[in-house]
Amino acid sequence: MKTTSSPFVFSGGIHPAYHKGLSAGEPIRAIDLPPHLAVPMSQHLGAPARPVVKHGDHVKRNQLIGEAAGVISAPVHAPVAGKVTGIGHTAVTAAGRTCEAVIIEPHTPADAETLAPIADWPRADKAALLARVGEAGIVGMGGAGFPTKVKLSPPAGKPIDTLILNGAECEPYLTSDHRMMLERAEGIRIGAEIIRAVLGAKAVRVAIEDNKPDAIAAMEKAFAGMAGDVAIFVLATSYPQGAEKQQIYSVTGREVPRGGLPMDIGCVVENVSTAYAVFDAVVNGQPLTHRVVSVTGDAVNTPSNLLVPNGASYADLVAACGGLKCKAAKIISGGPMMGFAVNALDVPTGKTTSGVVLLSAARAATSGYTSQACISCGRCVEACPMRLIPSEISQFVEADDIEGAETVCIMDCIECGSCAYVCPAHRPLTQHCRRGKALIAAKRAAAAAKR
Amino acid sequence: MDPVITSVLVPTLCVGGCGLASAVALGIADKFLSVPEDPRVQAVLAALPGANCGGCGFAGCADYASAIVLHGAEASLCAPAGSAGAAAIAQVMGQAPGAAAERKVALVLCCGDETEAVRRAHYNGITDCAAAHATAGGDKACAYGCLGYGSCARVCPVNAVRVEKGIAAIDKEACIACGKCVKVCPRKLVKLVPASAQIHVLCSSKDKGPAVKKVCGTGCIGCHMCAKKAGDAIVMDGSLAVVDYAKELKDTEIIAKCPGHCIRKA
Amino acid sequence: MEYVILFVSAILVNNFVLSRFLGICPFLGVSKRMSTALGMSGAVMFVMTIAAAVTWLIQTFLLVPLGLDGFLQTLSFILVIASLVQLIDIVMKRFAPPLHAALGIYLPLITTNCAVLGAAVINMKSGHGFFKSVLFAFAAAIGFALALLIFAGLRERIERADPPRCFKGVAISLITAGLLSLAFMGFSGLVK
Repeated sequence: MKTTSSPFVFSGGIHPAYHKGLSAGEPIRAIDLPPHLAVPMSQHLGAPARPVVKHGDHVKRNQLIGEAAGVISAPVHAPVAGKVTGIGHTAVTAAGRTCEAVIIEPHTPADAETLAPIADWPRADKAALLARVGEAGIVGMGGAGFPTKVKLSPPAGKPIDTLILNGAECEPYLTSDHRMMLERAEGIRIGAEIIRAVLGAKAVRVAIEDNKPDAIAAMEKAFAGMAGDVAIFVLATSYPQGAEKQQIYSVTGREVPRGGLPMDIGCVVENVSTAYAVFDAVVNGQPLTHRVVSVTGDAVNTPSNLLVPNGASYADLVAACGGLKCKAAKIISGGPMMGFAVNALDVPTGKTTSGVVLLSAARAATSGYTSQACISCGRCVEACPMRLIPSEISQFVEADDIEGAETVCIMDCIECGSCAYVCPAHRPLTQHCRRGKALIAAKRAAAAAKR
Repeated sequence: MDPVITSVLVPTLCVGGCGLASAVALGIADKFLSVPEDPRVQAVLAALPGANCGGCGFAGCADYASAIVLHGAEASLCAPAGSAGAAAIAQVMGQAPGAAAERKVALVLCCGDETEAVRRAHYNGITDCAAAHATAGGDKACAYGCLGYGSCARVCPVNAVRVEKGIAAIDKEACIACGKCVKVCPRKLVKLVPASAQIHVLCSSKDKGPAVKKVCGTGCIGCHMCAKKAGDAIVMDGSLAVVDYAKELKDTEIIAKCPGHCIRKA
Repeated sequence: MEYVILFVSAILVNNFVLSRFLGICPFLGVSKRMSTALGMSGAVMFVMTIAAAVTWLIQTFLLVPLGLDGFLQTLSFILVIASLVQLIDIVMKRFAPPLHAALGIYLPLITTNCAVLGAAVINMKSGHGFFKSVLFAFAAAIGFALALLIFAGLRERIERADPPRCFKGVAISLITAGLLSLAFMGFSGLVK
């Protein structure tokens, strides 16, 4: 086991003010059980889960309440024991979609069930471990929510040699992964060993930005005893260091080909919290029903890292942090760079909710965006970690020239927000990219439907 | 020969000869080398003004005509020809319903303008309805109402859509019923209705009455009043009154009677 | 060397569109899109070169011997060029459909392109020989194509660059054309 700093630096990127000090020192604490939970059926990428309980049912803690509906989907379990008081539509989930939600009112007795723990996991069958990851409903906890089981089953022709554990947490404000690394280091290590065994990967790399020395120390200690090719990679603090493609380059020097996936170049990236969830599911038989959420921002009384059952509303989280100091002018689900603005606190948390950022009017830019003309300064080109030309892409999208936007590779945009962050004309570049991508996706879907 | 006659005759013969030779050559070429052409190209060309202004983005009317016939270009690009020309072209191409069919116009089924409808948040992003709709479901408190960011106005080829007081309004006279606004609206508020229809329910909210009242002063509250008065010309879709345009609706009394103030003449 | 100078000066220094202001109508008309501009450029190159050869023959073997070149030149050139273009159009449609499709509508449009007539008349005024005439016309056509393609590229970008509303469309295009013309003035003095 060694600690190295990465020799590779991805091009572009920005250095926003991180504001992590607000909550980085706050230990993880569980919140009081809210009066009811609205557990969304879509906490992941892909098809939403199908509810398997109905109004009036009593559910045990960890009981399956939504089954996976397809290959790219994940099951959902009850985070508490309680009574199902309805199956409704949530206004919006943490990922900005609307979906069905199972409303659970917790009650006593708090009876629970678990999946059978696989205590002897080092000698367990790979397929059994993989099946467990699937049935525990584990998804990528960094934000995108891609079902982990799918990620851990690459096709036969694509061997994986490197597992990268993503502890970069490059989003400003968020500290949930940071706290996980400090407080759950041992679990993350075991999770990493399980994932390594499933993938058959040789190398394990733990990638952490150099602004978290305490997390680096904690991971060094935890991973010291791990056999094989294991290394901690200290990465330069730069946004978006935690983005999959940029991180792979920073750690291995390999580039994901255009339109390709990390497995094309033998890599799999897993968030540290996901690794912990894998440990919890395999060793303790605990499905993914809770996660750590950073509730932070200058409008919150005591910014905290909370252990939250899925389905608790943002209002419950804010209450657990001692309420608001002032009116929150902007509520961001996720981090300020890639998160979604929401307009109320009745949004339920889910497996991918890494944070909620509440900003006062003084801090939040609520009227900053204008659609002024591009002044062709090229700062967005320098900032773009995908080496695209956001200024041109946005002009194509503004002119509704979708074919033109495709010629400048709009589909390679990772929507990291760096371009909009640096634009001196305050052009909503990322939003244009996002809109253009949505238009292209719709066009492709229509073309596919015709065929 | 008289030099004066020569000086007239020689040039005349010279140019005339050149012209004749060219004419014969062209005539022969046309006779033996001509390639059959789609007759619709000529028909479409006849419907275009022939100004060769290039405003459509093609190189002249003939190029545009062949682009319409052979490559499926849109019929509404010629501004000088206007909506009448576009209709004529569409007829040649067999796209339009026969001349006997009733003219349709697009209509925005929402009347919750900024004085009536509540905005629950401040949207700060690109001016596009789909983008606003995707941002936490839009800033309008009513999940069905017009967002007023003018996506329909931008796609309209004849500038018939205006955004006034926070909602889109379509000019009945200018509308050519191309259906682009119908497609682009993320909330599916724009419908093609018969141009002769006078009375409309300008609301699309499927919420129940109290929920509608909370977010909009001019929403359908599902009281069934109009449906009872108008017979089968207005039907209830859950708690939303919907005009059945196939039936005749003449009873203007319901306009004044509607407690939601969303039945209007348009 | 003489030919090289003739070639370069016809393209850059005495650019047909931007210095002599010939062929302005297609320059403004078909410069909205790069693809159409390319088609027009190809067609102009083709016709201009052939028209130069034919008009030289007419001038040398018909007009000059009959002493008519003083006053019948323009008339007969227009006649010959127009019918030549039509003839080429028909022949090409039959025997080279792909090329015809590529040049498309631009071929007949060139009938009224003053740059073609201009090249022929300038050739005769300068007393160019046959080969020199053809070379000059070809170079002039390249110059035309260059100007048209640059302008089309600029217009495509301007279209997206959100100019002030009163400048949108033709207005900003004319200003751009003027600036482009100014830029080409920089080449004067390149060839004496």
